[in-house]
Amino acid sequence: MSTTRHLVNRRRRLAVVAATAAPPRGTAGPGPATASDPEAAEPRTPSEAEAAAETGTKAKTETEAGAGAAAREDAGAEGDDAGDADSDADDAPSAALRSRRPRPHVRLPAVLCAATVLLGAFAAWAFTSAASLRDDPTRQNTALTDISRTSEVKGQITEAVGAVFSYTYASPEKSEKAARTYLTGKAVQQHQDMLAEVRAQAPKQKLVLTTTVTESGVELLDGDRARLLVFADQSNTRTGKDEETTYAAAMFAVDAVRRGDTWRIAAIDTFTR
Amino acid sequence: MARVRTTGNPPLVAAVVLAVVAAGAAGWGGWSRYDAAHDDAAAYAQARDDALAAGEQAVQNMNTLDHARLEQGLDTWEDSTTGDLHQQLVDGREAFVKQIEAAKTVSTAKILSGAVTELDDRAGRAGVMVALRVTVTAPEGEPAVKESRMLGRLTRTSEGWKLSALGQAPVGNTAG
Repeated sequence: MSTTRHLVNRRRRLAVVAATAAPPRGTAGPGPATASDPEAAEPRTPSEAEAAAETGTKAKTETEAGAGAAAREDAGAEGDDAGDADSDADDAPSAALRSRRPRPHVRLPAVLCAATVLLGAFAAWAFTSAASLRDDPTRQNTALTDISRTSEVKGQITEAVGAVFSYTYASPEKSEKAARTYLTGKAVQQHQDMLAEVRAQAPKQKLVLTTTVTESGVELLDGDRARLLVFADQSNTRTGKDEETTYAAAMFAVDAVRRGDTWRIAAIDTFTR
Repeated sequence: MARVRTTGNPPLVAAVVLAVVAAGAAGWGGWSRYDAAHDDAAAYAQARDDALAAGEQAVQNMNTLDHARLEQGLDTWEDSTTGDLHQQLVDGREAFVKQIEAAKTVSTAKILSGAVTELDDRAGRAGVMVALRVTVTAPEGEPAVKESRMLGRLTRTSEGWKLSALGQAPVGNTAG
């Protein structure tokens, strides 16, 4: 029996060496049998492993191999967990076995941790990058990109500028009404100051001031705020004794705000030094 | 058995949950990033800002000329333009050099404001309006400061946006 056992074990040992010489699985080195070694694993049962352990120091390597194989068998039978071989392998005082036992436990959490860190880092980068792309001032400015809003603000501000910078001596209340309709905030006072002279002269000279926007462009459009550059022509007609019309070219920028459905002029920048 | 193992191992469960959450976040973030980077409106907005920057610079160049560095200034003019406008400048260069050398003027320009009025991203054409303050200094007398309303047409070339037409906004005949 002992001799036969010994031969069998020897055969196994050789097989183990061959198996570990083959592409290694994990970091096991020339140690116990690996699961990829079917010859070592196949004929073993736990009882045989125990029996092998009893053959003494000479058979120690074989025992380890056997215990390892037994563990593998258990793992195969009970699921994918070599740790279940504990009860069977306890009899084998093997450092190699102890060192390989925790490996599957360590590996899964380690992979999970690495994956979590990598995926988390990618997610953080992606969100930050997306946010910085979206916060780019170029994107925030929807002038021309938002076609309907762009034409809406252009149309309404063109109308507003024409209305508030036109003045007829015969019906000054019309200009007042336009100012109330189209102006808000700082622009109210600015408009007062700009038209003060016209208002003072108008009754005497029978002034008719007409402003027509010739070109307008939206510099900035961001939600309910906009800034437009306006080129306008102003004709100033004195309808006194001898009629006289002077033309002036005007250029200015207006800040507009949207209140409800209408855009109003909030500030007028005449580029004064 | 495996389930028993996992449920009996809270750190492992936590690690699995965290990894799944991280994977979800990565997927969402990746989609969000992709969505942000492949936004047609953003590309159009970028073209608009590029056109405006190039247009303002070109208009400023075209209103800047120092008789002492005339050749350099005229080279800049030619570099800022393309098409017919460029050809006109090349053709008229000699006569213009004589004119400026006689007048000995120095012109500097400051952009007050500018806006893109139209943009055809695909065709590579744009229109800009620029409010400009030009100061012309002659050898004698006070510098003349005038405000200028410029309308320009831009064409996209391999070297970026360039002026293909430039002129003053007309005045007088539209009002009233």
